[in-house]
Amino acid sequence: MTHSTCKVFETVNNLTYLIDSGRLIRPRLQQRAKDLLKLLKDISLGTGGPAHLSVIFKSLAEIQIEHGSDETCMAFIQIVGGALDAHKEVFVSHIETHNCPTGDCAKLAPAPCQTSCPAGIDVPGYITLIGQGRDAEAIELIRKDNPFPWVCGLVCTHPCEFMCVRARIDTPIAIRDLKAFAAERAMSEGGYKNLDKDPDNENKVCIIGAGPAGLTAAYYLVLNGYKVTVIEALPYGGGMLMVGIPRYRLPREVIDREVAMIEELGVDFRYNTRLGVDVTLEQLKKEEFDAFFIAIGAHSFFKMGIPGEEDFPQVIDAITFLRRIAMGDRHMPGKRAAIIGGGNVAIDAARTALRLGSEEVTIVYRRTRVEMPASEEEIYQAEEEGINFSFLTIPIEVHGSDGMVNGLRCTRTELGPEDESGRRRPIPVKGSDYMMDIDTVISAIGQEIDPIGLIPLDDLQWSRRKTIVVHGPNMETTSPGVFAGGDVVLGPATVVEAIGAGKKAADAIDRYCRGIPQPTLPPVPVRRQRLDCQEVPAPTKMALHRPEMPLLGTERRRITFQQVELGYTENMAREEARRCLRCDICIRCGTCVEICRDKMKINALQLGYFDFDHPVETDFRVTAEKCILCGACATNCPTGAMKMEDRGDERVLMLSGTILNRLKLEYCQLCGAVLGPARYHDYITKRIDDISQRIGDKRLCVECARKALAQQHAEIAPPAVRE
Amino acid sequence: MILRRGQKVEIYKKSKDESWEDYMDNFVGLHGVVTDPDTTKNDPDALIEVSLHGKGTHRFPQDCLRVLEE
Repeated sequence: MTHSTCKVFETVNNLTYLIDSGRLIRPRLQQRAKDLLKLLKDISLGTGGPAHLSVIFKSLAEIQIEHGSDETCMAFIQIVGGALDAHKEVFVSHIETHNCPTGDCAKLAPAPCQTSCPAGIDVPGYITLIGQGRDAEAIELIRKDNPFPWVCGLVCTHPCEFMCVRARIDTPIAIRDLKAFAAERAMSEGGYKNLDKDPDNENKVCIIGAGPAGLTAAYYLVLNGYKVTVIEALPYGGGMLMVGIPRYRLPREVIDREVAMIEELGVDFRYNTRLGVDVTLEQLKKEEFDAFFIAIGAHSFFKMGIPGEEDFPQVIDAITFLRRIAMGDRHMPGKRAAIIGGGNVAIDAARTALRLGSEEVTIVYRRTRVEMPASEEEIYQAEEEGINFSFLTIPIEVHGSDGMVNGLRCTRTELGPEDESGRRRPIPVKGSDYMMDIDTVISAIGQEIDPIGLIPLDDLQWSRRKTIVVHGPNMETTSPGVFAGGDVVLGPATVVEAIGAGKKAADAIDRYCRGIPQPTLPPVPVRRQRLDCQEVPAPTKMALHRPEMPLLGTERRRITFQQVELGYTENMAREEARRCLRCDICIRCGTCVEICRDKMKINALQLGYFDFDHPVETDFRVTAEKCILCGACATNCPTGAMKMEDRGDERVLMLSGTILNRLKLEYCQLCGAVLGPARYHDYITKRIDDISQRIGDKRLCVECARKALAQQHAEIAPPAVRE
Repeated sequence: MILRRGQKVEIYKKSKDESWEDYMDNFVGLHGVVTDPDTTKNDPDALIEVSLHGKGTHRFPQDCLRVLEE
């Protein structure tokens, strides 16, 4: 795998080498170098502040004046000054984010869950807070990176869970469900608060679209003191959250409450205002906005292109259908509905039709269940509710009379050989046509962007996928001062990606307005806190299992829009949080395992989850069987994740809070000093048995043993001297 | 090749697709997990969301992806 070295880490190493080499002869220069090394180490350890860099620059200038002609001085300046000149942004990023993207600065290596979150949420931080019962603080932490913790707690596709290290042992932490639990608690108890706002500035930003991307950008811009106006076609905020996701997955109240938090900050919302219809870009430009953010989503749809599609009002697309229902329509689409497509939207449409009273709902898909692109969980829940599936079926014509659909002509398919993309194409079977007895057709075969309203922006570049082209790290379009994000850039994508894009755009717009250069790489997530680990005994850590989400009964699910997932109980949530391995602290470098196995020859650490590509068995309980509590692992741990402590009459070894071993301490029988556990003493005794004399069966500290040995020597009578 | 959620993949080459950006060159050789495939219609042209080990979550064209394990 590719790996580039962190420039902060490299500079610390180079300067250390220069100091150790003895080439800095002048004492004053040596001291200067040591002072600078201290400051650089602070940055590498995450304890550096903004003042560190200015002090380093000032010192470098002074050194140049004092020792400029010295050859070693030039080398010194080259190491520190050269690195700062070429990679200042890396040093700044370390100070601001407390994360080292390469992971070389061990204490700042980001956790995989945080890195994988498109919004960059400090996952280990909020999981720990939830474990401690500090739900409101957890939500406050999340909202530093994502203004929609409750929405994401219910509908996020949770990439974090796919990267969760705990999954290499058993199952990933239920990160999404814990977030929903904490958000609901915090909102219910009045602890869900907005962050403090900066003083207002003079800049005005216009955001087009009040979906997750637009609202996120609005939130961070208004917190930064910007005057923000949001143009929205719908009568309320939320975009696709509101009109694309059915209420049984995401209750409207959840969206309303989180949008209200943004409204409360003073964002100016202009609802029922469609760009290109109710207001034009030209009109908006006359209002002297400093920047625009386009986040109009992908609300248009693909047509099936079959005869009869345009002839009957009972043939509709899923996007329109779901929007209609979300906006209050509760009419049954038809008694026998056919849903065309195999994706998540098809499943949503089918489950919605069922809840509206359709007696028979059939999903028509051209391939088999294995190839269905919808998520497994969604398919399973649809099956539970009684949705029918007609696989290997292609609709070829909508039939009807007197303006009413009365059937869908379909043909059977079989899967042919793989094409160049590796997919098995469905091939129609000759003579297999048949009529499906239905009265409604809902097509769910894909969405696209409706560019009306953006056409006057003729310098906007569009991709061949009919999406707006942006520069990924900052969401800047080809039109100056215009930024874009969410589905309008990615095509139909996920909620959390839209939130991540909104956050990036807010930062980029801030830079644009202040004349600061834009980033060239995607942002590094910010480590918000380094919280102490929760202590959990190893057997408990292994025994805790991810709780199953309680679901609404199937009978009720079929007839109401009540939320299907009922949420965790308090006990479930707190226990689940204790399963977290705290990967923000343990970087899985393997030093502890190597030292225990290769140097100490004990091999007490069975931590097979360290490797991403080839994880093997992990069992925290094994440590207690073999470990002698020598402390070699803890001493060599680069991040302090492995800790050994004496507590009362016990010595305890912990890895990120997981108590791996605890043994009773022994004390020197002469002076009472702590000796360590018997197992450790026995190990040492065995190792030195051949080279050292034993002092009876007494347990003695080194000092007392030396004295006792000296005493023995004194008691030995010298040989008799021959006369 | 139908990509599914949870599959391990490798960015094994640069893509020639227009959506490939310069900063993505650093990702070649990295392993990751498919976190959001095309959930609409298995379009071979769709951009696929992949979480890369240590490098964040990004959307990639499919021609640069290779499945490591089923």
